[in-house]
Amino acid sequence: MLLAILFHPRVLMVLVLLFGLALATRVWRQRSAAIVAERPDHPQLPASLLAGGSTWVMFTTPYCASCGQVAEILGQADPTTPVVRIDATERTDLAHAFSVRSAPTVLLADAAGVVRERLVGVAAVRRHISATAA
Amino acid sequence: MSTTQSETSTRTGPKPIDPRGPRFNQAVLTAALLIGFIADGFGDGAWVVAPVFAIALFLGAAFGPQYGPFLRLFAKVIRPRLGPPDELEDPRPPRFAATVGVIFLGAATLAFLADAAALGWTLSLIVAALAGLAATTGICVGCEIYLMFARRRGVQMVA
Repeated sequence: MLLAILFHPRVLMVLVLLFGLALATRVWRQRSAAIVAERPDHPQLPASLLAGGSTWVMFTTPYCASCGQVAEILGQADPTTPVVRIDATERTDLAHAFSVRSAPTVLLADAAGVVRERLVGVAAVRRHISATAA
Repeated sequence: MSTTQSETSTRTGPKPIDPRGPRFNQAVLTAALLIGFIADGFGDGAWVVAPVFAIALFLGAAFGPQYGPFLRLFAKVIRPRLGPPDELEDPRPPRFAATVGVIFLGAATLAFLADAAALGWTLSLIVAALAGLAATTGICVGCEIYLMFARRRGVQMVA
């Protein structure tokens, strides 16, 4: 009886679907982790975006609810480092070049445009700020 | 530099929501549709899961999260027991995604009523797969479609 239920075609179809979802989740997490990790092949940010010294470059979208909050946190933590906002839906070239998959994605660029830090989401920004302040 | 600076994130819009609300909704929807699909293999009547969830999604999408039964359950019972969310999200993309779910489940209901159960379950399982994907990974296909249309609108306005 139990076997008949377990091997019912519908149960098997649902198991296949769940397996597919689990696989998609795993691939997604791995890709996210790989992108968050330091990427040596990151291109440099164009000088036109930078403000001389270090610059926070924040990728936003028109529907990003927490980007304003992130800009505020960054501004308060270090008023000397300007925050430049880029709408990822307008600058798809830059969003693609820097593998931006969600907003806010924040890059800390040095004067030469080299990406020194990459933070995704409010929580990551908060962690970074409290770690560097400590 | 000024051309790349954008003030779009300061645009006023609807109040941001806790993204875990729609995710809970999607998880319940996935579980219910899959259980309904299996149960239908053992007896009649489980197809009602499609119209029931079409109505549940419709209430939340059309009138706001406080009217969606599972969104309300999350807000009233589950959220108070959790910590604050890491981030908030705009409610419009998930609302649009729920509307797409309503259309699919509505079509599935019509298919069941027209005795086309295979089509009904195909449409229901598409919803289950997409909702499951959104619940587990955050990849919300409906939200992406909304953003795509929103971007197009933006381009047309510029042109």
